[in-house]
Amino acid sequence: MIYKAIVADDEKELRTYLKSILSEVWPELIICGEAKNGKETLELVESKRPQIAFLDIRMPGLSGMEVAKKIAGLCRIVFVTAFDQYAVEAFEKDAVDYLLKPVSKERLIQTVQRLKNQLDASTEPPARLAEVVEQVLSKLPGRGGSDFLRWIKTQNKDSIRLIPVEEADYFKAEDKYTLVITKEGESLIKKSIKELAQELDPGQFWQIHRGTIVNVSKIDKVSRSLTGRGILKLKERPELLTVSRNYLHLFKQM
Amino acid sequence: MDTHYITPRNVLKDLVYTIIISAVIAAFLTLTGITTKSFVINLIVSQSFGLSIFSIIIFLLWIFKPEKTAPLAFIVLIGIASGILIGLQIGPFVLLRIFSIVLWQQEKSLLQPIILGITFGSVATYFFYAKARLRVSMGELQQERIKRLSSEKEALEANLRLLQAQIEPHFLFNTLSNVLSLIDTDPASGKSMLVDLIHYLRTSLSRTFPDPITLDQEMDMIKAYLNIQKIRMGERLHFKIELPDAVSKHPFPPMLLQPLVENALKHGLEPKMEGGEIMIKATEEEDLIRVEVMDTGCGFSSLHNAGVGIGNVKERIKLLYGEKGRFIIEENKPNGVRAIIEVPKQ
Repeated sequence: MIYKAIVADDEKELRTYLKSILSEVWPELIICGEAKNGKETLELVESKRPQIAFLDIRMPGLSGMEVAKKIAGLCRIVFVTAFDQYAVEAFEKDAVDYLLKPVSKERLIQTVQRLKNQLDASTEPPARLAEVVEQVLSKLPGRGGSDFLRWIKTQNKDSIRLIPVEEADYFKAEDKYTLVITKEGESLIKKSIKELAQELDPGQFWQIHRGTIVNVSKIDKVSRSLTGRGILKLKERPELLTVSRNYLHLFKQM
Repeated sequence: MDTHYITPRNVLKDLVYTIIISAVIAAFLTLTGITTKSFVINLIVSQSFGLSIFSIIIFLLWIFKPEKTAPLAFIVLIGIASGILIGLQIGPFVLLRIFSIVLWQQEKSLLQPIILGITFGSVATYFFYAKARLRVSMGELQQERIKRLSSEKEALEANLRLLQAQIEPHFLFNTLSNVLSLIDTDPASGKSMLVDLIHYLRTSLSRTFPDPITLDQEMDMIKAYLNIQKIRMGERLHFKIELPDAVSKHPFPPMLLQPLVENALKHGLEPKMEGGEIMIKATEEEDLIRVEVMDTGCGFSSLHNAGVGIGNVKERIKLLYGEKGRFIIEENKPNGVRAIIEVPKQ
């Protein structure tokens, strides 16, 4: 039986290279299309219905991994990447194969043999494929489900400045906007403290008052005042912040 | 006195000191014959003074947590005065109830205990003050040491990360794959890519230790890097480097710009389907050199992790120049990111 494959990589030269060694190793294979980004890959799989997709992991638009998630039920997938930073060794090779660039002919022969065996047994992609891709995705750095704010955009005269969120000492409500206080000074964020509270990582930032959120790693100590509120001192900052009674439970174990 | 003063441990320790000091005062007064009363009476009176003064001062410190000397001194004064007033009530009261001894009958006989109270109260309080000061300065010394050690550690770590950041494996293997392919399809391009790669590797490897280099040497390496990326990305990448002669021979820390250019590519242009432009511009002002790296990419998504590279740049500028160096990241108009480094002229 004759099978069809597509090659997806944002670098033209690398598509050409993979195609040329594929034609040596598996001359009967038909390369029915090439894609240079995630979106094109999806369209190609839909329209050409290949049995195999060679996917570069890093592509503009949708990454190879995200594409894989979407096409996992439609065809077999071989990931191609320049550097194995995801320790994909641990994958089950029968579900997903994995090639390192520059792709060597010897390694490609193994992959092709495996693909031929699998396809001759059944042209349907393995049912576990989607699951395995999901596993791989969860291993990617920065994708571990953490969707918290990383950069704060602050208004600064005529420019918008970006501050890594971990540099904030604390946030203070200012009318309907918020002030962020860092070592370098104060700047205005065009967001209410309420919105901000929902976007920040609750493990790293604690609301201690209706109008105050502090960076936990910058807290020096908290003491009780006579009125039952807490007085919070930050490292390397002179000012004292008030912890209102509703939030004092946060410090119970400190 | 520092704000850590009021802890149960310290209060307990000072309470013990207060009792001991008061006992010593009582013994002193009895032995020298300054008062004609017996040691037991002197002890009870002196304890009542000492403990009253102690409780009031601790209470006031706990409420007001004074950080400066003036309010602290004020609290001490109030503490001694009111402690003596209260002590004058408690001492005779205890003696009367337990020992049935009437201590003072006439108003004028109160003068002596008041004077003694003020004198010994002040001496004892000064003892506590000096003790706290000593503890603070010891603490500061320790802090200073910790700070120095950790900045040495930071410098070392920065060096190590510098080493790792130089050659990103993705970049290296992608480039080599390209060269491998170009050998067949376009040997001339393959050759020039390899030349640029060799140039880039040689310069970046020789910069493991931050020896001083000039801005044009650094730009030269970045140009090699961008040339390689240009072959990979084709029409998706355009770049421009503006380096006026006036600043080109200026010393500049190595590997400070490279992470910014790499970030602009990786997070700005590579993920953007149509690609874009990178522009690097150096300018000088009276006392500083400013280098900007701008891209027209898709900008940092607010969820994107602040790259290791960027944190690194900030740290290194801080280590090298302290407050005199600056590193800013802004939104570029109409899109993309603009990173700005300012370093003082040396």
